[in-house]
Amino acid sequence: MADAATTNPLFEMWRRQFEESAAAWARMVTQTQTPPPTDPTAFWRPVLNQGLEQWARLFAQTPVTPDLAAQWKQFLDQWIEAWSRALGQVMNTDAYAGMMGRYLDQWLVAAAPMKKSAEQQIEQALATLNVASRTQLTAVAKQIVELEERLERMEDTLGAILKRLDGKERT
Amino acid sequence: MGQERFADVVERFTHGYGNGHGPDPSPEVVRRWQEELERHLRRMQNLHAMVASPTEPKVGQTPRVEIYKSNKSRLYRYQSKRTHRTPLLFVPNLGISRPYIFDLMPGGSFVEHMTREGFDFYLLDWGVFGPEDNDLSFERCVTNILPRMTQKVLESSGAEDLSVLGYCMGAPLSVSFIASHPEVPVKNLINMAGPIDFSKIGLFGLWLDKKYFNVDRFVDTVGAVPADMVKAGFKLLKPTMDLSTNLNLWWNLWNDKYVEGFNALNKWANEYVAFPGEFFRQWVGDFYQDNKLFRGAAVFGGRPARLGSISCPVFVVGAHEDYIAPPACVRALLDVVSSRDKEYVELPGGHISLIAGRGASLHCWPKVSGWLASRS
Repeated sequence: MADAATTNPLFEMWRRQFEESAAAWARMVTQTQTPPPTDPTAFWRPVLNQGLEQWARLFAQTPVTPDLAAQWKQFLDQWIEAWSRALGQVMNTDAYAGMMGRYLDQWLVAAAPMKKSAEQQIEQALATLNVASRTQLTAVAKQIVELEERLERMEDTLGAILKRLDGKERT
Repeated sequence: MGQERFADVVERFTHGYGNGHGPDPSPEVVRRWQEELERHLRRMQNLHAMVASPTEPKVGQTPRVEIYKSNKSRLYRYQSKRTHRTPLLFVPNLGISRPYIFDLMPGGSFVEHMTREGFDFYLLDWGVFGPEDNDLSFERCVTNILPRMTQKVLESSGAEDLSVLGYCMGAPLSVSFIASHPEVPVKNLINMAGPIDFSKIGLFGLWLDKKYFNVDRFVDTVGAVPADMVKAGFKLLKPTMDLSTNLNLWWNLWNDKYVEGFNALNKWANEYVAFPGEFFRQWVGDFYQDNKLFRGAAVFGGRPARLGSISCPVFVVGAHEDYIAPPACVRALLDVVSSRDKEYVELPGGHISLIAGRGASLHCWPKVSGWLASRS
């Protein structure tokens, strides 16, 4: 197994770096008036540079043994976990939820008329070909579902009547 | 400085130990390298098998019979010794995923565990809904389907009362039903990872808040919530999940048993199920946004669902790392029921690993069966 004592301080540094990055993202997302950075890679560069340095240090301090694979796995696990935590912090903000809501609203506003128009065209095309449309098939299936429900209600009523009759016979 | 050292390591990687660059490795190191190489070869073999000839994993193998069906929903009774008098009705989530996760594979199945422990186990499979079921609401599940299913459980088992176990969304469904139908003879109630107080639901609660999510507009536009959209919602909740899943698969790919389990779980994890539109409207509107059940404001078929009216023994199980139903919102059930016999346990793991997998078989299943056995 990997030597946790050797690698943990390094991963701790990593984690701190990601948490600071997350705080920076959160600030960036919540400050809507702030214009976006002109070079998006500039924002990530410190994170990536530090990551590369840590990797290099990790390799340099570790003898090349099969344990390296386990250390590598441990490193990736913690790296993913740090990302997950950082993303979680960003996603757990009102600003992110608001952004998602706005995006979804815009998509719905655009999707509704498109969907309606596409459905109308498909319906017309199928009607011309004398083929049942999805709407018609759904309507038939709905009727079957309703029929089944009606039967179930009748079954329930019959069951209740039989129970009552059974009770009367016994008394 | 880091760059130079990294180059040294690359050098060592390229030329190894035995070319005059350093001491010979010890026999122990050589043995471990051989072991690692063998594992790697095994990984490649299994990867090839997974890609070139994928096999459909066999899931849901515990013997069962269909007792009743209503539209898409089915009630199954599992074969068991039935040493406990009180039957158990298991109510899973509606939509989202298929219930075979509870009977994934022999040796890794909650259903198998419970039947082996002698419970008369019934599973309600809500089914896979189509556009014709868009009018199915939460209320209809509570007032039509659940009463009928419990009746069928009582009829087929010949018992006078039953225990109900709700998992995930199945728990608020069961609790709504029991609270609004006090005449139904429920002897025990178990809530496993089922959200009750939606003010503590976490990330989904924030995203589905009224301020940001207009559920009426959403359902009016899309109708049923397609499986792909359900999948996107859950993937978004934990964006790094696929990455860590694949990394762990690669790491354990040499282990045939792991691969077998992965295939079964992966089949389930990629089989999402759509939500009927009206169900989603009520689920999000009344539960996530208005928290009606916990506030005592929920009414189903004209019957108020008062959680205080639940007085049977209650067992609540929360998962420590559950981000779908965080422990606090699950545990809240105990604060509102009037039961004297009530217990809460919080176990390690997440929403799924609470009930499926090796951890579940060690921590969760014995606790559930142990609690229920003495009360059945």
